[in-house]
Amino acid sequence: MPVIASPTHYLFQIVREGITFLACTQVEMPPLMAIEFLCRVADVLSGYLGGLNEDLVKDNFVIVYELLDEMIDNGFPLTTEPNILREMIAPPNIVSKMLSVVTGNSSNMSDTLPGATASCVPWRTTDVKYANNEVYVDLVEEMDAIINRDGVLVKCEIYGEVQVNSLLSGLPDLTLSFANPSILDDVRFHPCVRFRPWESHQILSFVPPDGQFKLMSYRVKKLKSTPIYVKPQLTSNDGTCRISVMVGIRNDPGKTIDSITLQFQLPPCVLSADLTANHGAVDILSNKMCSWSIGRIPKDKAPSLTGTMVLETGLERLHVFPTFQLGFRIMGVALSGLQIDKLDLKNVPSRLYKGFRALTRAGEYEVRS
Amino acid sequence: MAPPAQSQRSASPSQPSGKGEVSDLKSQLRQLAGSRAPGVDDSKRELFKKVISYMTIGVDVSSVFGEMVMCSATSDIVLKKMCYLYVGNYAKVNPDLALLTINFLQRDCKDEDPIIRGLALRSLCSLRVTNLVEYLVGPLGSGLKDNNSYVRMVAVMGVLKLYHISASTCIDADFPLTLKHLMLNDPDTQVVANCLSALQEIWSSEASTSEEASREREALLSKPIVYHLLNRIKEFSEWAQCLLLELVAKYVPSDSNDIFDIMNLLEDRLQHANGAVVLATVKVFLHLTLSMTDVHQQVYERIKAPLLTLVSSGSPEQSYAVLSHLHLLVMRAPFIFASDYKHFYCQYNEPSYVKKLKLEMLTAVANESNTYEIVTELCEYAANVDITIARESIRAVGKIALQQYDVNAIVDRLLQFLEMEKDYVTAEALVLVKDLLRKYPQWSHDCIAVVGSISTQNVQEPKAKAALIWMLGEYSQDMHDAPYILESLIENWDEEHSAEVRLQLLTAVMKCFFKRPPETQNALGAALAAGLADFHQDVHDRALFYYRLLQYNVSVAENVVNPPKQAVSVFADTQSSEIKDRIFDEFNSLSVVYQKPSYMFTDKEHRGPFEFSDELGNVSIGAESADNVVPANRVEANDKDLLLSTSEKEESRGPTHNGSAYSAPLYDSSSASISAANSLSELAISNPTSAGNASSSSLAIDDLLGLGLPATPAAAPSPAPAPLPPPLKLNPKAVLDPGTFQQKWRQLGISFSQEFSMSPQGVAALTTPQALLKHMQGHSIHCIASGGQSPNFKFFFFAQKAEESSNYLVECVINTSSAKAQIKIKADDQSTSQAFSDIFQSALSKFTVS
Repeated sequence: MPVIASPTHYLFQIVREGITFLACTQVEMPPLMAIEFLCRVADVLSGYLGGLNEDLVKDNFVIVYELLDEMIDNGFPLTTEPNILREMIAPPNIVSKMLSVVTGNSSNMSDTLPGATASCVPWRTTDVKYANNEVYVDLVEEMDAIINRDGVLVKCEIYGEVQVNSLLSGLPDLTLSFANPSILDDVRFHPCVRFRPWESHQILSFVPPDGQFKLMSYRVKKLKSTPIYVKPQLTSNDGTCRISVMVGIRNDPGKTIDSITLQFQLPPCVLSADLTANHGAVDILSNKMCSWSIGRIPKDKAPSLTGTMVLETGLERLHVFPTFQLGFRIMGVALSGLQIDKLDLKNVPSRLYKGFRALTRAGEYEVRS
Repeated sequence: MAPPAQSQRSASPSQPSGKGEVSDLKSQLRQLAGSRAPGVDDSKRELFKKVISYMTIGVDVSSVFGEMVMCSATSDIVLKKMCYLYVGNYAKVNPDLALLTINFLQRDCKDEDPIIRGLALRSLCSLRVTNLVEYLVGPLGSGLKDNNSYVRMVAVMGVLKLYHISASTCIDADFPLTLKHLMLNDPDTQVVANCLSALQEIWSSEASTSEEASREREALLSKPIVYHLLNRIKEFSEWAQCLLLELVAKYVPSDSNDIFDIMNLLEDRLQHANGAVVLATVKVFLHLTLSMTDVHQQVYERIKAPLLTLVSSGSPEQSYAVLSHLHLLVMRAPFIFASDYKHFYCQYNEPSYVKKLKLEMLTAVANESNTYEIVTELCEYAANVDITIARESIRAVGKIALQQYDVNAIVDRLLQFLEMEKDYVTAEALVLVKDLLRKYPQWSHDCIAVVGSISTQNVQEPKAKAALIWMLGEYSQDMHDAPYILESLIENWDEEHSAEVRLQLLTAVMKCFFKRPPETQNALGAALAAGLADFHQDVHDRALFYYRLLQYNVSVAENVVNPPKQAVSVFADTQSSEIKDRIFDEFNSLSVVYQKPSYMFTDKEHRGPFEFSDELGNVSIGAESADNVVPANRVEANDKDLLLSTSEKEESRGPTHNGSAYSAPLYDSSSASISAANSLSELAISNPTSAGNASSSSLAIDDLLGLGLPATPAAAPSPAPAPLPPPLKLNPKAVLDPGTFQQKWRQLGISFSQEFSMSPQGVAALTTPQALLKHMQGHSIHCIASGGQSPNFKFFFFAQKAEESSNYLVECVINTSSAKAQIKIKADDQSTSQAFSDIFQSALSKFTVS
């Protein structure tokens, strides 16, 4: 459980990459605040250390101490904006080491306070300079779907994010508009987004933080179709169960679908399984997790997985059926249909590169049998 | 710095392991301390890292204190930070180092680099050494006036830390007023937010003693201040926004324009990327519009989408926290969420605590239009690998069936479950079919056909077995072999471990007897005999009751045991609506996650500053207006009893108490069971063992009574005047005025805390708080305040030692539905709190219907 009550304290915990982040309180408080904060701590640490694991934390414990010091004081969260933290505490990377050797400034921290703490745009410092000015906008979407035992698409939703990587000098002012904003069901914004333009014209107007950030997240519900079909069939009698699963393209999105995988947990009552596929590789892990990596779907045949499973003695038929979890990735397409119309920039140098990309991958995409 | 002391230290033989390395570090540090060579900071850093890593793993490196401080005379901030960490750790445990530290930190508080000033000030305030507070006031004062906002921000938090170390120093230095000024005028929003946070804490804990502080606390919620802060909310950091929104949620708007102004101002907060901000805003919206039904409904519609997005976007932990709140809202207004039922479908990968919440929501939102889809979905979960969830989903199907009018399709599904041949599925489905039949008797025909084909061998779970037996009894006229199935179950009476099942069996065989007497007579006789010999009190009593009833008049017995029933229209809700409202009031807090109002799970001491004082006020003392509160003096009519001396009372009360509690029914039952056994022979059953059993069962009960009841002055079990002197005597005429109680309660720490089960008799008697008060007074434990309604009662008791004026204060929370009592004891003399707790618990355990 994320929230645990002990006789004297209430504990919040989140687990990331095998590391548990723990917070405790003795008073009533908004639980989501504690959990959000822990998530933020995990994000910041993983951004600083380039990942999260026990060794990284141990090797960089000084940085970890420093970060925690700035992020929370006397139980009250202070600065969690990565851009500002990065100015107060330098990340332990080779670049900063190089820099300190070259400049002779051995402190891995700037002498001045971050300008942002005084500026009216708290997520951005005033004097950012780039030789090449670039801005990238990515639409990253995840498709969540449930297909029930009868093969009916019960639920299909897209959760999407607009991720921006802004490498721009000065104090740029950006305007991003979509060709079809009306398809969005609910949106959430980075604090930099101005609310009024969105409310009146569905235009995203903002002064971006420096570097990579999540500009907006959105949800598009009630989609009618999925790009891939999965057809599982299980028949069992006399203590064995025959399984066959077919995978193929249902609606061609126009771009290549790759990294297709299918995972399922063999029911506990299955003693052994013998599975083969006509395309791709099948692995059964020790915890009875079965994973079939298909990759791309070949043009000439439909990939299928077949095999038999031996059930526990005394069990005639299978009563618990596996749920298949599909993974895939499509570059170049946002399956929700959301399209960026244009990106206008003000207060920026004339020489500038703008890049747009889109990507859709499977989120919680499950097919029940 | 103090080299002689240091050398002494390292020479001392008590140096812990790592001694070699530590002295090594020491000499290396000393070499570097004076060096000005380039790159020296890097080598220092390596050494500092080593020192801190030793410190972290528990090696005592306090001996290098002097060198560390010397080495940190540098502009390198990382070195400074490590040094602050180090000194902060050792100053607390090592007072002679603390003074050194203070000098060092005070110097850094005047550094030209604002970051160093800030960090030094923060470390200084974090030392928390009580006798050094005087050194804090100066640096804090100048920190609050610093021209750099970082330092001011740290200083504000420092004031709060100072307040917790020494409240009087903080107040005397007039810091709260300075903070108030800063809060209203500082250009930096983080400073403003910290001021708000600090002032809330300081003024609410001062409010109980100072008029002015309580006025100031009110003023924080006044319109000018709230609006002043709200107008700047967009500049606030996301966490500060949460804090401010919490404040706004407490604000009482003057009129509806006020409400709409605030909502307009905050509407875009619902789109914030931080879920905590969104939820805090939702709370503000809900609370502002409580009195405006239409708008309140619109608010639900407005917040629906953001909440649903939050659920699907974050990590599982975030989802859970949001879902708990969504759960609360769905339960309050299911119809608003009815069209969004698909959001509550369970995903395979979700943790089961999330699935469980979702199942409850699916159940709540089911209505005529979506029931079919929801039930279809739930049925798929019944084949889930996770057995707990499979069970829950079957239960959910049943609940939906019970709340719908058109149950046609659902009954079919339930009956399909019975045919799935999975034991746990069958078990759950049986329980549901039973409930369903109680509500829709017209379905009995279809159900009985399926139920009849289930072999009792395959049903092991007590609840399911009891349900099956109930159906056998209820529908014995339609089930051909009902009497014979019951008979075979009765033959295995001794192997049936669950009292619930045995109780059901008795009732079922009675019902069957009325419908098909010739076939059931033997079984009935056997069941009554077995029931009378049963060691379980309830089973025994029910058997005896049935037996006497039959003896008295068979048709009366039938009227009692199997009267014509009306279909149940509504099943009782498990949680009272009062509690639900209370949880709703505490939206965006832990209460929602636990699904309990906070007073039921938060310790008094650990309560937030606001609730703390409010709560004591609520349950208090002389609040005559609240009619569920019983002031202690109402019970004073009983005082005459207390005029008897303790020792006299020991003798006079002892037997009566024993008598009233258990021995009367005990006597009755044992003799009755013997006579029952004798007269049962009329039914042509010889049962020689029953008398023996009865006597042994009475022994068992004696034991039970003796168990865990130490000799107490009020009810000593032995008639002799206590061979062992009672360990603790209480003063029967103890007095404590409410003010003192409140003060003591706040001052003393909990010395004993325990949760235990209450006897069913005790719970049954606790229909009003008054009953318990009288009872406890008989044990020299007096009530100062009580409150609550069934099923939750809360009492504050006190008692005094007989010889000296040493007090015991008790908070006792009793939940009659779960039969649990939770006590917290605070005592002037902590060493005897265990003994007192024994007295208290034994007194409580003797509480029955008198």
